[in-house]
Amino acid sequence: MPKWFTPAVVICGLMFAVAPILIAEAPYESTMGLVQKIFYVHLPSAWMFLLAAITCGVASVRYLFRGNPRQDRIAWSAAELAVLFGAITLVTGPLWARKAWGTWWQWDVRLTSSLMGWMVAVAYLLLRKYGGPGSDKLAAGLALFGMANVPFVYISVNYWRTIHPTTNVVPTLPTSFGVPLWFSAVTFLLLFVLLLRMRIRLEEQRTRLDALYLAMDEHR
Amino acid sequence: MTFLRTFLVVLLLIPAAFDLPARAQQPPPQQQDEFIPIEKLPPQDQLPAAPLLVAAYSFVALALFAYVVSVARRLGSVQQELNRLESELKRSGRT
Repeated sequence: MPKWFTPAVVICGLMFAVAPILIAEAPYESTMGLVQKIFYVHLPSAWMFLLAAITCGVASVRYLFRGNPRQDRIAWSAAELAVLFGAITLVTGPLWARKAWGTWWQWDVRLTSSLMGWMVAVAYLLLRKYGGPGSDKLAAGLALFGMANVPFVYISVNYWRTIHPTTNVVPTLPTSFGVPLWFSAVTFLLLFVLLLRMRIRLEEQRTRLDALYLAMDEHR
Repeated sequence: MTFLRTFLVVLLLIPAAFDLPARAQQPPPQQQDEFIPIEKLPPQDQLPAAPLLVAAYSFVALALFAYVVSVARRLGSVQQELNRLESELKRSGRT
């Protein structure tokens, strides 16, 4: 692991310890009250979900055009993180919606496109695990669809009528709501980087293992 | 051409003609004349926020913890196998 990894883990741990204090001290929102505090984990995890889908897509494009196996390892690792953060987004969202909107789920454009993006990431992982030889290229193609879905997920709330808040909410947040949100977002970003590095390391070690098995076969 | 225009105007006016009396019959929205404490609502209308909040934060903590453990375990087992193979290769190289 690189030198920065251990200090970054310590910083991330400290930030995760401080974040709940900031969230607890944030004021209650006037109409939603206590349940609005789900926002401080829902939104950062949604951002990490989209970031993971973009990372997976960009690495897949580079793998498809340059054939660099390192890019394939990054794409695979990012797809796993897209599934993780996507699951967090898709679970915390309905828990918030049940109280705020009176319903767990609505088939509106933001929610449906997010679910679709998450299913693309799941499909990517299934393809890599059970697809056999050649699945790397096929999965890379699938990752492009996942990446193309990202801007659609983001801007959909501004163009379609939906009960989901628009993208204008975050820029207009008062400081009392903004500080815990941005602190939480930076914490999630640091965690994303650490998890991605850890997951890439796993793929690197697997590649080394395959190379060793090949060397042993040649030796025999 | 004039006939067609008249026909289209009539066609557009028909739904409005049926809709206006219906709207006129709608009762005006009721004004609120009392406040009801949340405890007096039937149980199915009371939805406390705390369990939803606790469920959300617990899920986040569990999901992240489970993923870190899963990656660490996979990394550990690959590392173990790597070490075993490397030592096996060294041994076979010496003999």
